[in-house]
Amino acid sequence: MAVTELDAGPSFLDRLSRPKPLIVLAVLMWIPLTVYVMFGDRLDGYADTVLLPAIPATLVLYILGVRAFRESWVAVLGLSLVFFWLLMAVTAPYLPLMDPNKPIAPFTTPFSEKRDVFFWLGTDFKGRDMLSRVIWGCQRVIVWGVSATMVAYVVGALFGLVSGYLSGWWDEIISFFANVLLSFPVMVLFIVILNYLGPSGFNIVVAVTFASAPAIMRIVRGLALDIKTRDYVFAAQTRGEHPLYIMIVELLPNVRGPIIVDACLRLGYTTVAITTLTFLGLGLQPPDPDWGLMIRESAKTAMLWKFSYMLLVPALAVSSLILGFNLMADGLREMSLRD
Amino acid sequence: MLKLILRRLAQMVLIMAVSSLLLFAIFDTPEFKKRLAVQELGGFAVSALTEDSYQSWLAKRGLDVPFHERYVNWVGNILTGDFGFSFEKNRPVGPLLADRLVNTGILAFFVFALMIPLSLVLGVLAGMKEGSVQDRTISFVSVFTTSIPEIASAILLTVIFALGLGWLPVKSAMIGGFSFRELVLPVLTLVIYDFGYVARMTRASMAEVMTSQYIRTAILKGIPYRRVVMKHALRNALIAPFTLIVLQLNWLLSGVVVVEVFFEYDGFGKLLLEAALFPDVEVVQACTLVAVAVAVVSQIISDIGYTFLNPRIRFA
Amino acid sequence: MSNKDTSNTLHPKVADARCQMESGKLNRREFVRFAALLGVGAGAAYAMAGLPNPAVAQDAANLPFPADDPDAKAGGILKVAMQVQKIDDPATFSWTQASNQARHMLEHLAMTGPDNVTRPMLAERWEASDDLKTWTFYLRKGVKWHNGDDFTTEDVKFNFERWTDPDLGSSNVGLSSISAMVEEVDGKKRLIDGAIEVVDDHTIRFHLAKPVLSFPEDMYNYPTAIVHRGFRAPLDDSPNGTGAYRIAENVVGDRCILKRVTEADGQPFEYWGGKVYLDEIHYYNFDADNQLTAFAGQSVDAIYDFGVEQMELAKAIDGQIISARTAQSLCCRMRVDAEPFTDVRVRKAIAMAVDNSLIKPLVYPEGGDVGENYHVAPVHPDYQALPPISRDVEGAKALLAEAGYPDGLEVTIDVGNTDGPWHQTVAEAMRDQLKDAGITLNINVIPASKYWEIWTQTPFGATAWTHRPLGTMVMSLGYRTGVPWNESGFSSAEFDAALDEAEATLDVEARKPLLAKASKILQDSGVVVLPIWRPIYCMASNSVHGYPAHPTQYHQFNKVWMG
Repeated sequence: MAVTELDAGPSFLDRLSRPKPLIVLAVLMWIPLTVYVMFGDRLDGYADTVLLPAIPATLVLYILGVRAFRESWVAVLGLSLVFFWLLMAVTAPYLPLMDPNKPIAPFTTPFSEKRDVFFWLGTDFKGRDMLSRVIWGCQRVIVWGVSATMVAYVVGALFGLVSGYLSGWWDEIISFFANVLLSFPVMVLFIVILNYLGPSGFNIVVAVTFASAPAIMRIVRGLALDIKTRDYVFAAQTRGEHPLYIMIVELLPNVRGPIIVDACLRLGYTTVAITTLTFLGLGLQPPDPDWGLMIRESAKTAMLWKFSYMLLVPALAVSSLILGFNLMADGLREMSLRD
Repeated sequence: MLKLILRRLAQMVLIMAVSSLLLFAIFDTPEFKKRLAVQELGGFAVSALTEDSYQSWLAKRGLDVPFHERYVNWVGNILTGDFGFSFEKNRPVGPLLADRLVNTGILAFFVFALMIPLSLVLGVLAGMKEGSVQDRTISFVSVFTTSIPEIASAILLTVIFALGLGWLPVKSAMIGGFSFRELVLPVLTLVIYDFGYVARMTRASMAEVMTSQYIRTAILKGIPYRRVVMKHALRNALIAPFTLIVLQLNWLLSGVVVVEVFFEYDGFGKLLLEAALFPDVEVVQACTLVAVAVAVVSQIISDIGYTFLNPRIRFA
Repeated sequence: MSNKDTSNTLHPKVADARCQMESGKLNRREFVRFAALLGVGAGAAYAMAGLPNPAVAQDAANLPFPADDPDAKAGGILKVAMQVQKIDDPATFSWTQASNQARHMLEHLAMTGPDNVTRPMLAERWEASDDLKTWTFYLRKGVKWHNGDDFTTEDVKFNFERWTDPDLGSSNVGLSSISAMVEEVDGKKRLIDGAIEVVDDHTIRFHLAKPVLSFPEDMYNYPTAIVHRGFRAPLDDSPNGTGAYRIAENVVGDRCILKRVTEADGQPFEYWGGKVYLDEIHYYNFDADNQLTAFAGQSVDAIYDFGVEQMELAKAIDGQIISARTAQSLCCRMRVDAEPFTDVRVRKAIAMAVDNSLIKPLVYPEGGDVGENYHVAPVHPDYQALPPISRDVEGAKALLAEAGYPDGLEVTIDVGNTDGPWHQTVAEAMRDQLKDAGITLNINVIPASKYWEIWTQTPFGATAWTHRPLGTMVMSLGYRTGVPWNESGFSSAEFDAALDEAEATLDVEARKPLLAKASKILQDSGVVVLPIWRPIYCMASNSVHGYPAHPTQYHQFNKVWMG
């Protein structure tokens, strides 16, 4: 679909690049993926079809992204890495992969055949196909990582707007709690929270929110303090608009720019955090594949040169995704400086 | 200035009080107590305990009183220098934590000793000529290394240097006493992850200084380029990175958890994780206090440093 | 007894031992003692060994340890990777690791060897009355404490009184022997007056309220180490024992250092148990996951254990892999009072749809035995095989339909991986097999510590049970009506009666059919799918000789040497 309509010329793509179609595309990509990963076990018969709309949406988004970032090869490289994994995530059920949880032939090295099956990336200690595990694993990493960042942003931005716009007591209280949370090293906060709530994807979202929201709140608060003295805010105030309306309609769109760069970086941090926490045994739980889990399992079964592919595959996968986020942030920052 | 420091310290004490009270409340749940009992007595034994003997076990551990009472006692003890007792390690928390902090301190010392020169030199080299090939290469490398999470670089280093080449040991448990060879991989892992960030900040700061009015004037006056960089630019460009480096101490306390666990190095991070999972309440408390203190104090030092190093702020 | 046909009713170990004797590995006298402990009459044993039946069947030394290796060299330090735990009070040890740290200093009345045979240790021998309610222990003479005191019945009495002190909370009270010496007064369990009778300095007699079969085996359970009559916790403050080593340093989570004892109260210390070779034993703290890596890095000479998932790694490392056959198992048990398992047809359908003989090789390709859904293992001396069970998918479907689930059934099993990730592998294999019978098995993996919080309550859970030397022991602990560890809620008067009868029979041969009767009742009730008797694996470097693999991972290094 995307390919044929490309011929319609740049004007169509331009139209797509406007905020509304972009949001629709993002929703089309994101909602099916999230539903698939978080509630996949309750979908029954629909599980196989739910991801279908996400595939074209991802491709179109990628093309639009490349077009928008074309000035910076760094950003395009970052975007390509991220979208490579996104595409893997949305197409995983339709790729000709083996069942990621099915033990076939333990400790098969990459590019070799065992029991009449060829393994590109070998198998792990249980004999599960590494290629299929690393691809299926990116679904969970991406969905939980992005969801956690998004929730943290909603919470952080909300408190930041309230604190920056309303000032006074609100600001004092919110800032104090943000300071309390910011005084903890992130890992300490993660360990304490996840240990209390128990390890699971949803609890990671909660923990990331606690750890990231204060910093986001500070950024948004600073921006809000700056912007609230602008004329259009005064105008809205004199019109007698409700503070909530002003915050969301007038302030929020104008703090968007710096936040997007920060969000890209933060997506990287969150991905690191999730992988690390899962490695420590506080994150996602087996048996479904996940990069942190693959590292955790391989770290005790494969600490040997000839099995080191089991450690390297997930390590490289997670590094490439984070590199993608960081390069994207870098390119965006470069571009925003140029404007 | 002094007033600001005192205010900060007062805030720190308040934060410590609030967070430790929260932690006491969190670890006071019946589930945590049960988990502690399971750890100490074994799952089979706990389920055979009658309610009475479970209660007397709680009483023996001092867990039968409400948490706020325990909290008050704990605060009282802290003021007399007693940090409590570790259920898991069976020894007072004070010396235990001190041992582990020394180990993490050794690790941190070498990380900084390597990371500071490396990142400053690279940052300055990149920032000297903004936009040059040199700059772009260094910038890309620093983004690249910062993108490899510690767990991944720990794996890469272990696979190459320990499993592949066999030059270095795989684990750093140091059971035969302190060993430099065992320290190399954890230090490198942390340096690789962290130096890129500081280098980038140094680059930004250097680039800013190089475009400033007085440097341009100096160059126009015909002072040799080398001298301009060495004598004038560097001093001003290194203010921001220095304050940043102090703040890395706080980051390091997070970063060491995964590195210490992966390499089995007995430091603060491993202690914290083990204690939280056990759950060894008073160790978690003490670790948290240390972490908060490090965070706040490094913030204060960085602020003071910035004020003293930066004439514009001092005289403004 | 001596005329009995010995070819098919003997304990399998006897045949093993006979082979060993014939190939010269075991001397004849050793064989006789071994066979006698397995229930073969002394006369028959001597006949098998081709020796004249002597008047005194005891060896002069009568030591529970393996024979001395003529090539053995003295000296050296053995470094072992294991979790190093706290060892305040031996009577309240909760984990095997803690007892290993103390085992070379504090010894037991009896010792169960790696071959699962219990031999006298600090006791020289014991006698049971015909009704198994009176046990007399004759203590070994010439045993000294590290402070120079003689080991006497005073010490033993002191220990039994401690174990039964309700304020101490020793788990030894749960042992069938000790629980037969206590009574409940005002909700607290106390020692019955007159239960312990000191006959003389080296003879002590126990009067039990009910017949107990496993008294000697109980005396090697890990919290039953004998401490000095003047013992005060914590142990590390004033280490004193009868063993060849003494704890010099114990730092929890770090290291435990044991050194050879050479002096007792100014006099040279002579260890009662013959030669020992090592100068020092060092335990270094490594998590279960990291022990093998530490071993590969040559930081340690031996490790406590490693999991089957690490087997390939172990094989790639230079060293000896030592494995032991055990009665450690995974019990996938269903609570009889939770839906849908209240219906015996549902439980049986699940058991029938699982093929144990396929799960064993999948999970443990090397070693181990296939379980048969009752809790007696082939390594138990009183094991008698029941008619083999086989998978029957159609039968399972029919049973399910009859129970009101014609369209299949969905159940969830809680898995805590308390003993390693292989629990999950078992559950996954079961899931795949149950699918054929229309049963959907969801696997709920929870952290080990969480699992121990719910293991007795969850409707369907996979619990790891450790090895115990006699078949009757776990059957009694886990399946008798109303006992605390009866995690399935199983209750059958018929089963209890059959078990009572088996437990009242000292003669192994006579006990076998009685225990088999109880086993059959348990198997028919379908409360437990017990697919595996797992082997345990550990590893030692090639320079370590005689490193034993004990089925409960108890360390005994008296005859271990380095060279």
